[in-house]
Amino acid sequence: MRPRPFFLWFFLPSLAAALLLVAALGEIAQYAFRVFTPGSLEVGGFTLDNFARLARPIYLSVLGDTLLISLATSLFTLLLSYPVAYAMVRAKSDFLRSLIMLLAVTPLFTGEIVRTYAWILVLGSNGFVNTVLKSAGLIGAPLGLLYTRFGVIVALVQFSMPVMIIILATALAHVDRNCERAAANLGAGPAQVFRHVTLPLTLPGVVSGTVVIFAWTMSAFSTPQLIGGGKVLMISNLVYLQGLSSFNFPFAAVLSLLALAVAMGSLGSMRPFVSRLELKAAIN
Amino acid sequence: MKAQALPAVELTRVSKNFDAVQAVRELSLTIQKGELLTLLGPSGCGKTTLLNMIAGFDVPSGGSIVIDGRDVTAVPPYRRETGMVFQSYALFPHMNVFENVAFGLRMRKMAKLGIERAVGRALEMVKLEGFASRRVGQLSGGQQQRVALARAIVIGPKVLLLDEPLSALDKNLRRAMQLELRELHERTGLTTVFVTHDQEEALGLSDRIVVMSRGEIQQVAAPLELYRSPANGFVASFIGEINRLPPARCRIEGDEAVFEIAGHVVLRARRREKLTIAEGQETHLFVRPEHLTIATSKSSAQNKVSCRVTTHLYQGAYTLTRVDAGPLGNLQLRALGGEAIAAAPIGSQIEIDIDLDEAVILAG
Amino acid sequence: MSARLARGLRASLFWGAVALILVYMTIPAFVVLMTSVSPSELLEFPPSGFSFRWYERAFSYPDFQNAFVNGLIVTAFASSLSLLIGSAFAYLVDRYVFAGRAALEAVLASPLIIPHFTTGFGFLLLGADLGLGQSYAVVIATHVVLTLPFVSRTVYVSLRNLDPALERAATNLGASPFEVLKRVTLPLLRPGMVGGWLLAAILSLTEFTASLYVTAQRTQTLPVAMYTYVREYTDPTIAAISALLIIFTTALMLLANRYLGLRRILAIDAH
Repeated sequence: MRPRPFFLWFFLPSLAAALLLVAALGEIAQYAFRVFTPGSLEVGGFTLDNFARLARPIYLSVLGDTLLISLATSLFTLLLSYPVAYAMVRAKSDFLRSLIMLLAVTPLFTGEIVRTYAWILVLGSNGFVNTVLKSAGLIGAPLGLLYTRFGVIVALVQFSMPVMIIILATALAHVDRNCERAAANLGAGPAQVFRHVTLPLTLPGVVSGTVVIFAWTMSAFSTPQLIGGGKVLMISNLVYLQGLSSFNFPFAAVLSLLALAVAMGSLGSMRPFVSRLELKAAIN
Repeated sequence: MKAQALPAVELTRVSKNFDAVQAVRELSLTIQKGELLTLLGPSGCGKTTLLNMIAGFDVPSGGSIVIDGRDVTAVPPYRRETGMVFQSYALFPHMNVFENVAFGLRMRKMAKLGIERAVGRALEMVKLEGFASRRVGQLSGGQQQRVALARAIVIGPKVLLLDEPLSALDKNLRRAMQLELRELHERTGLTTVFVTHDQEEALGLSDRIVVMSRGEIQQVAAPLELYRSPANGFVASFIGEINRLPPARCRIEGDEAVFEIAGHVVLRARRREKLTIAEGQETHLFVRPEHLTIATSKSSAQNKVSCRVTTHLYQGAYTLTRVDAGPLGNLQLRALGGEAIAAAPIGSQIEIDIDLDEAVILAG
Repeated sequence: MSARLARGLRASLFWGAVALILVYMTIPAFVVLMTSVSPSELLEFPPSGFSFRWYERAFSYPDFQNAFVNGLIVTAFASSLSLLIGSAFAYLVDRYVFAGRAALEAVLASPLIIPHFTTGFGFLLLGADLGLGQSYAVVIATHVVLTLPFVSRTVYVSLRNLDPALERAATNLGASPFEVLKRVTLPLLRPGMVGGWLLAAILSLTEFTASLYVTAQRTQTLPVAMYTYVREYTDPTIAAISALLIIFTTALMLLANRYLGLRRILAIDAH
């Protein structure tokens, strides 16, 4: 159209915010290459030792645990979220759709501390689950749910579900109902309609949701911190230990970069995959 | 120069390119004061782009646009004094009817009292008195259309631009709005440019029609002339329904023009003064369905062709009959009423008469 | 008849599963609400009585009082700045073509994928090197960057749903670009902007991981104070605060759904 009025008005604030973020990330990159002086916040000259330190078995096992927990969380989240998203989009009554949405989405906005604390109350040895099971006579001694990977995953899945449900519901809302009707009209039963039409059409949402949750869980902090209680360590906990407990900023910076790289890598890998899937869904 | 002679809008060699696509090519057109001119063409012919260039939303890649004697080619849309009615009406959903109509006057810093009077008059003109405080969401499609019209005419535009304003209405309402638009035009005398792809609408409404295709003008003419003597094959087949006969050779025999088609079919027409076809030249004949009739045994018509009936399409006031005329291909006939259905059952062999005196004859 | 039976069975199985999953999602909130009114110091189910003592303790605990005020200050500034910058950015992306647009988009959307502890750690280092320490300015800047993608996405969706003919109509009627913005574009974007601001405010109010890095005792926000408390004490004071936060967000969601349409804020139905 016409020359661009007010371009700078709109451009400069955005640019300022972007520069701030780039500067903050630049700081991390910069610290990653500096020598750590124990007992001092001042850092020394250039070094690559911080990166070499990553190869130690203890850090590798934390990285392995982080990947494992993230993978399990994203898969379980997908399995539990799909039916809820489906119900939320397809429920016949307006009231039911709104109710499901409120129940499914509200946990996202209570904040991670509230949600993590709630799971401590549920999973603790005097907690909800153990008390209920004990009074029902199903167990004698309380189950050790807290401070285990299982407990961490149970809590992480519940945290991740609202986001997954939003992503899946968006995908489902865009499925043309007439495609499903056409399939049914051509003789496909409900299960076949789902398998051959609905699922393929929502596959891009499924993939992007799973990868987003994977990357998201990679950066979870308070859940492994409080529910893992030091027994389950993820990269985030290591960054905290190194950065805010030992004040080893350079190594914390290296770990932050690692987490950033894994998160970006997993999301980056999704791009071609999603478009291929969309293509596949369009052809089949 | 007399004031009346000054055209309302003058387009001179106007072009518009969108990347590699030439939407409008070196188009020149003069729009007279007070006329209702229609831009007609299939989608993608450049008619909407042309309208947007007059309004100032699209900047021409070349050429100049003069409105009321002033070159506005480089003038932004909000200083052009054109009144536009959009296809979607584009009524402001956060304002009521009054505020919508008053918007242009407020932008012109008119005094409050003046605005109230002008809006009242405009609403009266579109028969929406008493709707001033309604929200636009509560209006029907036809009412929204009127508000959009009132909003455009209240500012006293130098030219009123209508971008397919009736396309969202259902058929009956559309017909009624066409009549109202025409009446409104008679009353206000506003120079109006109307864009449509509906040829019936164009024929009914316009003083003059500009037929466009691929960014170029095919013909500019009054509706009657356009229907009777289209300038080329595109206009002939775009305006109304028409049968295109296979290429013919023409020779002159006394006061008759004789056409020979596919080697052996011979059709005759009275010679016309306007006909400028030379002996032996290849010509194209276009015949309207209403000029084909089922021949009765006693009729002595000269252009009798035998054919087989393939379909009837009953339309109420008339019936369209499709026939297979062998070397002449498939033809359509239009006859009043529905008698043809019984008189010439599907599959039967009949004779038809082709009246070439009203046919469009173009050199090949 | 048997086909109908199978259909009924399948439907009840499906809805049963959905109900169970929803129970799993909501049970922590109920346990928190129950615990918050329990009179006992130890966690117990079902509660042996009813008491507001943990609420009293939460309200009278000075760290929480300070953290609550800090949080409100940070949220007020961060969400408003985020709204201004995010709306400007959404408009920029929707309307202007300029060199480096893709890069700018990538940077400003990246807080969605960058781990919060990375962002927080980066801003901690940046604040230290700029001599700002863990001041409000650093906390607010961090929260603005973290909430920006949510605001700009919400406003961007509203912009996309805006009929471009409306702005053209205003222009045609004589409104200058500034007036079009003021009288047509902004009023029509208002629901999207309110939604985006609300989203930013809630996210800022409840943000924890990055805040843990960029706040000091003096500037710590409520979630950070809660975390510190949980690590030191085991009594249900946190349950009381959590219950209040749960009730508050639920009420907010109900209101947002009623007046703005949650689906629109979350961009689930993008027509």
